[in-house]
Amino acid sequence: MNPKDKPSSLALSLAIELLVGFSFLVSCQNQPRVSPPPPVDRHTPVHYIGRHGLVVAANPLAVEAGLDMLKSGGNAVDAAVATAFALNAAEPFASGIGGGGFMVLYLAKSRQVAVIDYREKAPAGAWPTMFKEKGEAEDHWRTATGLAVAVPGAPAGWALALRRYGTRSLAQAAQRAIQIAEQGFPVSQTFSDINKDEYERLALNLEEGSCYLKDGFPYEPGEDYRNPDLARTFRVLAEKGIEEFYRGDIARRIVAAVQAKQGILTLEDLAAYEAEEVSPLRGTYKNFALVTAPPPASGGLHLLQLLRIAENWPLRGWGHNSSLYIHHLSEALRFIFADRERYLGDPHFIAVPVEKLLSREYAASIASAIRPDRALGSYPPGEFDNESDRRSNTTHLCVIDREGNIVSLTQSINDFFGTGIVPEGTGFLLNNQMADFSSSPDSLNAPAPGHRPVSSMAPLILFRDGKPFLVLGSPGGTRIFSSLAQIILNITEFRMSLDEAIEAPRFFSYSVGGQPRPIALESRIAEATVAELRRLGHEVRVREAYDKYFGGAQGILVWRDRKIILGAADSRRDGWGAGY
Amino acid sequence: MKKLLNAFPIPILLTLSPILIHATMEETSLFEQPLLITSAGQNAEVQLAAVLAKRAGLNYRLEKLATGVDLENMKTLGLVLGASMKGLGAAGLDIDKERERVRGLTAEAGKKGIPILCLHLGGESRRGQQTDDLMAEFLPLAKMAIVVKSGNADGFFTRICREKNIPLVEVEKAAEALEPLRKAFR
Repeated sequence: MNPKDKPSSLALSLAIELLVGFSFLVSCQNQPRVSPPPPVDRHTPVHYIGRHGLVVAANPLAVEAGLDMLKSGGNAVDAAVATAFALNAAEPFASGIGGGGFMVLYLAKSRQVAVIDYREKAPAGAWPTMFKEKGEAEDHWRTATGLAVAVPGAPAGWALALRRYGTRSLAQAAQRAIQIAEQGFPVSQTFSDINKDEYERLALNLEEGSCYLKDGFPYEPGEDYRNPDLARTFRVLAEKGIEEFYRGDIARRIVAAVQAKQGILTLEDLAAYEAEEVSPLRGTYKNFALVTAPPPASGGLHLLQLLRIAENWPLRGWGHNSSLYIHHLSEALRFIFADRERYLGDPHFIAVPVEKLLSREYAASIASAIRPDRALGSYPPGEFDNESDRRSNTTHLCVIDREGNIVSLTQSINDFFGTGIVPEGTGFLLNNQMADFSSSPDSLNAPAPGHRPVSSMAPLILFRDGKPFLVLGSPGGTRIFSSLAQIILNITEFRMSLDEAIEAPRFFSYSVGGQPRPIALESRIAEATVAELRRLGHEVRVREAYDKYFGGAQGILVWRDRKIILGAADSRRDGWGAGY
Repeated sequence: MKKLLNAFPIPILLTLSPILIHATMEETSLFEQPLLITSAGQNAEVQLAAVLAKRAGLNYRLEKLATGVDLENMKTLGLVLGASMKGLGAAGLDIDKERERVRGLTAEAGKKGIPILCLHLGGESRRGQQTDDLMAEFLPLAKMAIVVKSGNADGFFTRICREKNIPLVEVEKAAEALEPLRKAFR
């Protein structure tokens, strides 16, 4: 927010929006046990309001689970884990115990920030050419076989977060998820569409009778989905703890399923897995401070790079989603992807030059290299020594509790429905996170034993004047940090409300080997803008009006020392929120 | 009746035509096997069509990137309609290249006298400008169409099929396309 802006003008516009009917208020009292109906037009900006606490996530049932936890006295970490568990049950194609993620926590009392890294790891038997040597079948091996499965981190990550910062047990956090999996729910349009999109892989890898298909066909909207096997698995975890997952019967079933599909995961790989607490990555954009997950989560790093570069430009003068705006940010993204290819990997094993990548000088050099009148056509990476200065799909949730503790959590099984492999009788999908390793054996992000593949995830908290202002995150693979940057700029530069900022049309571009890829953009961007971008030399691909290709962001805006807490969720997926 | 038909042949035939088309479909299988299945738009539903064909006991082959040479020894071309950016990206195509591929394929089918069966199995959510443009070009070439009803809520398929005299079968969901598909083949 520009310090020169009068706070009252934003508050007034927010008040008008709330009162005069662009938003409708979702009552937090007496939430029904079934999902509340969505607004008639899901794309109309909707804000969820809380005074004591609020949860936003990609599914209404999961939101309900998190809110129940808050209302019963659990803190933000308890609620985040409860929501994460429930997302596994209610949005099983996007995350779960078969995957991993990153959690950014703000602890209000101490004003500290912590990050839990529960990213999946490559098995000990991984080697750099393991996919490249498959030739034309490489993509199949990276996504649809046992070889694609990395060691899951979610159970370990959730348990670590609860142990260190929660007040509830894993068993308590799992309760609502068990009910959701057992009782089931009618499938949404989003669920059905994604089920259809991934049908080929599911038909290949699912056992007959799997609940992830309806009599062998994708679910139609409204058909009932239940997952009693998953409920049983959650009960086992509740009763016996995560040991059962990493060293017990579940571990044996995981290994059997993976190896039956030509994978290399072993019991030793599972037993050796540990989630860890790491220092956050910190940066600034104008008068805002930002904290996010560090590498191997690259999303936060690249988001900060993009914002740093954008600081050099008169964005407001160009206008939101004008051709100049899209052109400049797309060119910047292409440079950033060149840096990503060149420098990103697992910081446990390689040095990532974070400070150099985030330096104002480097950002200014990129900004000045970008021409206003044409696309450059070639995007080399920055040249830095690999000195260590530190050591993607997907779903996102945000929670704030009555004490002001905050969790911003992004987690994934990589592709929707992951590999489509389900360990026998367990009900959960195994990730294909190995696909996030580079295809090139020479890359710093090549597959290697125990390495965590580079992720685009960027759960974040933005601070203003030392206080939490915006909690944000999104799924969407490599589009994550571009989408989050646009949302942040929509709020800070173009003075949109939170949900306007989330619903606004998005665009994306990148480079491969220094060569530009087309600008992809949602069809709501003006045709004249598209024509001008083509005139500047860009290839443009127009996508759907609200395209989940660009992610499904969730956010919480904290206003006036938590006197107003606003939540917003993306209509590109089944985003929802509730507060109390 | 004969006097009535002689007096008012065209209106009566037009009124009866949906019934006639439906009756024709019921009584006569329009297509022969083997069937080559491909998509127009690299959609995910092409896999569904292959599963339906398998369950229907048909002799079929699935080729996502089929060209004219793949029509060798085939008796029917099954075209599953719908543009998917994800599918196009995975195939390394854009919509223009895909359109060219399908144009070449359908032209070759026309030369060989191979009839086309069009399917749209994704329903309402699988409609959009690119899909509609593609379907407007290729659906009129069909000898028959099977569509999921929600994808025809605006009458898009009805209009084109009526105009071109193409028998149109609507089903509530993709799995229900099994019987019409089976019956469509000798």
